[in-house]
Amino acid sequence: MKTKDIVLIALFTALIIALGLVPPIPMPLVPVPVTLQTFGVMLAGLILGPTRAGLVLLLYVMIALLGLPVLPGGRAGLAVLAGPTAGFLLGMIPGAVVIGWLAFALNRHDKSTADSSLHEAFQSNPRWQIVRYALAAMLGGIVLVYAIGIPWLALVTKMGLTKACWAMVVFLPGDVLKALVAAAVAQRIRRLNMV
Amino acid sequence: MIGSLYLPGHTGLHRTPAGLKLAVLALSSSALMWVHSPLLLLAACALVCLSARWAGASLRQVWQQLRPLIWMLLVLGALSAWSQGMLQALEMVLRLFTLVLAALVVSMTTPITKMMQVVVWLLWPFQRLGWVNAERVALGVGLTLRLIPELAVQWQEIREAQLARGLVPSPLTMGVPMLLRTLRRAEEIAEAIDARG
Repeated sequence: MKTKDIVLIALFTALIIALGLVPPIPMPLVPVPVTLQTFGVMLAGLILGPTRAGLVLLLYVMIALLGLPVLPGGRAGLAVLAGPTAGFLLGMIPGAVVIGWLAFALNRHDKSTADSSLHEAFQSNPRWQIVRYALAAMLGGIVLVYAIGIPWLALVTKMGLTKACWAMVVFLPGDVLKALVAAAVAQRIRRLNMV
Repeated sequence: MIGSLYLPGHTGLHRTPAGLKLAVLALSSSALMWVHSPLLLLAACALVCLSARWAGASLRQVWQQLRPLIWMLLVLGALSAWSQGMLQALEMVLRLFTLVLAALVVSMTTPITKMMQVVVWLLWPFQRLGWVNAERVALGVGLTLRLIPELAVQWQEIREAQLARGLVPSPLTMGVPMLLRTLRRAEEIAEAIDARG
């Protein structure tokens, strides 16, 4: 791991924190505030790839647990782990890895199969790339994070799995929108080959 | 702009080694998950409230940290009271509140550097295996904390530039310039670190 990788990891961690400090939008009846934090997580996965994105999230969770108020709403400390939304925070670690893995593995895949020029044109079409990134962001950033967060919420609050699922439905539109925007942004950045 | 939760002080709680506090917290939190009697939970809650007082936490500071949680607890408590009965709801709310407050007390009485030492100590076996370099982890934490305000300023600059040109800033229009500047910044910082060895 080169110095630049460490700097990139620190920068994206800071970016997620900065995005999370934008005041969250509290929603009635739902115990999780809506923030841009997950937008930063998706960007980290799509741009940095699985290893570095995973390290970004590990660093993020570690800094939060150490007691620095970096989570949305300025929360922090070990108290977060005891709370009902800890599953969503911890789920972001494998989430970012999966986002990065999907976005990068698929890219490697087209290089080996891009034999025909038509195929190549199809694969390098920016619109298709955005669709692939959006799918990666949704699978890792929404499906996987919810798959860990919802059972955790149900377990801690003993409210039952079905009810916990319904409580999360409100967040789905916002999260899908974030995935789409993150995919569009990531496609433009990835094209420049700076990372 | 980012202060830690730590409250300077010299109480017994402050002097207890960080590793011990964390171990006690982890053990007692897990134990609490198995306690179902409301009276015992109430006692545990009172104990934790007393220790918060002992640590010198003012009501305002505690309130600031717990505000989102209390709102959440009220909603969850109401839901649970409706579906499972009052006693269950009381138990859940008491337990969650106690767990969170206990963790908050540990965070408030332990400075970041002490916490870092515990982390480095926990990472030690991994370092022996050659998986992690604790120094680099520390560099990562330091850099991150240093960069948060910079990125916030950068966000503000891009916003103002776009407003001045008559654009309505949105995550889509902000994202690309924000990341471009961030990546360029990474290049500069990496060069600076390498140049200093």
